[in-house]
Amino acid sequence: MNMQSTAALSSSTAQGVAGGTSDSGSSTAVEQPAGSDNVTNDTGAGGDGAADEVAQPSSGHSNNTTNGHDVKHNGFATNNNGSNNVGTVDGENNRENNSSGYSGIHLDKSNQEIIRLIGQYLQDVGLEKSVKTLMQESNCYLEHPSATKFREHVLVGDWNKADADLKDLEPLIDNGKSSTIITEMKFILLEQKYLEHLDDGNPLDALHVLRSELTPLQHNISRVHQLSSYMMCATNHDLYQRAKWEGKGITSRALVMERLQTFMPPSVMMSPRRLRTLLQQAVELQSQDCPFHDMAWETNLQTVSLLTDHCCSTDGFPMQTIQVLSDHCDEVWFCKFSPDGLKLATGSKDSTVIIWDVDPYKLTLKNRRVLDGQAQLNVSFVSWSPDSKLILVGGTEDSHELFIWNVDDGKLVVKFSQSLDDSLACGTFSRDGNHFVCGGQKGQLYLCDLNGTLIDSWEGVRVNSVAFRADNKTILAADNHYRIRGYNFDNPRSDFDILREPHPIMTFSINSADRLALLNVSNQGLHLWDIEDKCLVRRFQGIRQSNFAIHSCFGGVNESFVASGSEDKVVYIWHLKREEPLAKLIGHTKTVNCVSWNPVYPSLLASASDDATVRIWGPKPTGSNATTESDDCSSSSSSSSWNMT
Amino acid sequence: MGRIFLEHLGGLKLFNCAQCHTNLTNRSQLISTRFTGATGRAYLFKRVVNLTFSAIQERVMLTGRHMVRDVMCKNCGAKLGWMYEFATEETQKYKEGRVILEYALINEAEGFPSEAGGTSH
Repeated sequence: MNMQSTAALSSSTAQGVAGGTSDSGSSTAVEQPAGSDNVTNDTGAGGDGAADEVAQPSSGHSNNTTNGHDVKHNGFATNNNGSNNVGTVDGENNRENNSSGYSGIHLDKSNQEIIRLIGQYLQDVGLEKSVKTLMQESNCYLEHPSATKFREHVLVGDWNKADADLKDLEPLIDNGKSSTIITEMKFILLEQKYLEHLDDGNPLDALHVLRSELTPLQHNISRVHQLSSYMMCATNHDLYQRAKWEGKGITSRALVMERLQTFMPPSVMMSPRRLRTLLQQAVELQSQDCPFHDMAWETNLQTVSLLTDHCCSTDGFPMQTIQVLSDHCDEVWFCKFSPDGLKLATGSKDSTVIIWDVDPYKLTLKNRRVLDGQAQLNVSFVSWSPDSKLILVGGTEDSHELFIWNVDDGKLVVKFSQSLDDSLACGTFSRDGNHFVCGGQKGQLYLCDLNGTLIDSWEGVRVNSVAFRADNKTILAADNHYRIRGYNFDNPRSDFDILREPHPIMTFSINSADRLALLNVSNQGLHLWDIEDKCLVRRFQGIRQSNFAIHSCFGGVNESFVASGSEDKVVYIWHLKREEPLAKLIGHTKTVNCVSWNPVYPSLLASASDDATVRIWGPKPTGSNATTESDDCSSSSSSSSWNMT
Repeated sequence: MGRIFLEHLGGLKLFNCAQCHTNLTNRSQLISTRFTGATGRAYLFKRVVNLTFSAIQERVMLTGRHMVRDVMCKNCGAKLGWMYEFATEETQKYKEGRVILEYALINEAEGFPSEAGGTSH
């Protein structure tokens, strides 16, 4: 096939030159005798003899330097072949003369490259005839003829010819140190030759390659030693394993070819599957720019459509108020969806906790029961047990009691108190539900079992906020020295620094992958930390917080998002990857104290506010008023991920 | 109003709001005990937390003219003293940014030793 396109070049070139100035004509004449013995190689064209003669230099036998030079500048466009002063008139002639076959369209550099990309792609999928037509019509080359020959010889394992081809390619690889590159390429060829001999069971031939071909190159001696050790392999299988080699055949040769290709300039030989690589890059870039991107969704050419820009669907993204819960009669300080996503607990300054049932299909919430047994306790936090059956409820700094309620029957399970002087203003269940931990600023950190029995305590720490890590042993606590530290009650006990902020950490939460921590920092805003690498990842912009303990959360599909309340009455949502908020949910009339994203039905987000309401945020109603924008996006296949119904 | 976020300076000897026991500062922040306020003895501290501040006011004191703000407890709102924004006398500059707490309005309490890196931010 490539021979054909060579011929296409040669005939048009011949005519171009023939019609050109005398000096270019004479240079052709000089070539003639030198190249004549090679004419037989290029019989495919069937054109007049002169055409083939002129073609020979491009196959790189006699006038290599000039040709290599031309290649670089012209990218194989035959119209530009020959000396530059031939000019446009010559091009015209050329076109007229060729009218019987194909038009001599002049393509600029970028168009030529695109044609070559398309050609390579067609070739990869096996549309050989189309490639031929394309190359004829466009007067372009897929790759340099010498490179084509070289590839063919490598793939059939004709190492001697391949070695000879390398000599032709040498002037084309002109970056000032071509000799070392050629040596490296030779080395790669011989490596394969050597291994194939071994594979064939010809250790003597292999030894010959090693001794009289590889070693004299004086290149990569350590690799030569390694290669020689393969001589000792007992079986071929052993050889494949030790050499990490595919075995003799087209696969390993193709790999060799890919390695060799990297040494050649793209004008001579393109890197394999170049168009695919470019498209994959485009998809990756689009995913990076996608504002609603679901990060667990690995985008590649198989999973997205190339026909539109990739953009994750916003269908089902919580963007507008779908319900306002106004059963509390004072400021609502906390809200949290249960792990199974079917209940919401809201805690208020009015000393009650309300449990709401979530209808995941209608996306509505219903008051299930009011837990008001904790008189005079301004509820400042609620933690769910992992089975969604129990909640741990606590108050502010002046409170010394914690309550565990069974949400199904509404009964008080445990009332926990250690000392009247205690301040228990934060607490959480462990991730396995066997323990809970609680603490406060007066210097308590208690580890308890579900009966409210104190198992252990840590003296001398004043904590604002606590969380369990996934190992259920390490407790993270934000303390009064602006740190988050780890505490492990196992014997021997250990404690260690995780991070330190320059301002007080009011609250924090850990994502379910147990890797990221989201901190509400007093007077600063929302900070995202990597708790393994112990580094600040991002400062999210937008929220206002100074005096009040505001809670934020991870959420959305695959926890790709974060949300937070704010003192400016707005609920903010960010993508994990971006500082600027992607949504501001407006509706509350006072400070938003807490947000919770439903962990199972990511279309639901709840927010608790000083205006004594809890707002449920959900997707825009489907149907009539869907925007054109979301219509565009729905072409991507992810729309199902947000849609819960 | 939201749940008020309160800091805690920690330390061995604590000074708290007499009304609601919110921590304000500790002994290591104490600069001088030889001040006098409306209620009698007053202490000068380097750093005090959990305060809210009034608008700036000009006050002529025994030591000269000062620009000050009254300070209140962030939790219960009780008036506790004042802080110096600006001292006109060169000799009084050291008080700028420092806080006076009137002894009658605060309590002393025992804290516990906390590990290094604690109190000096």
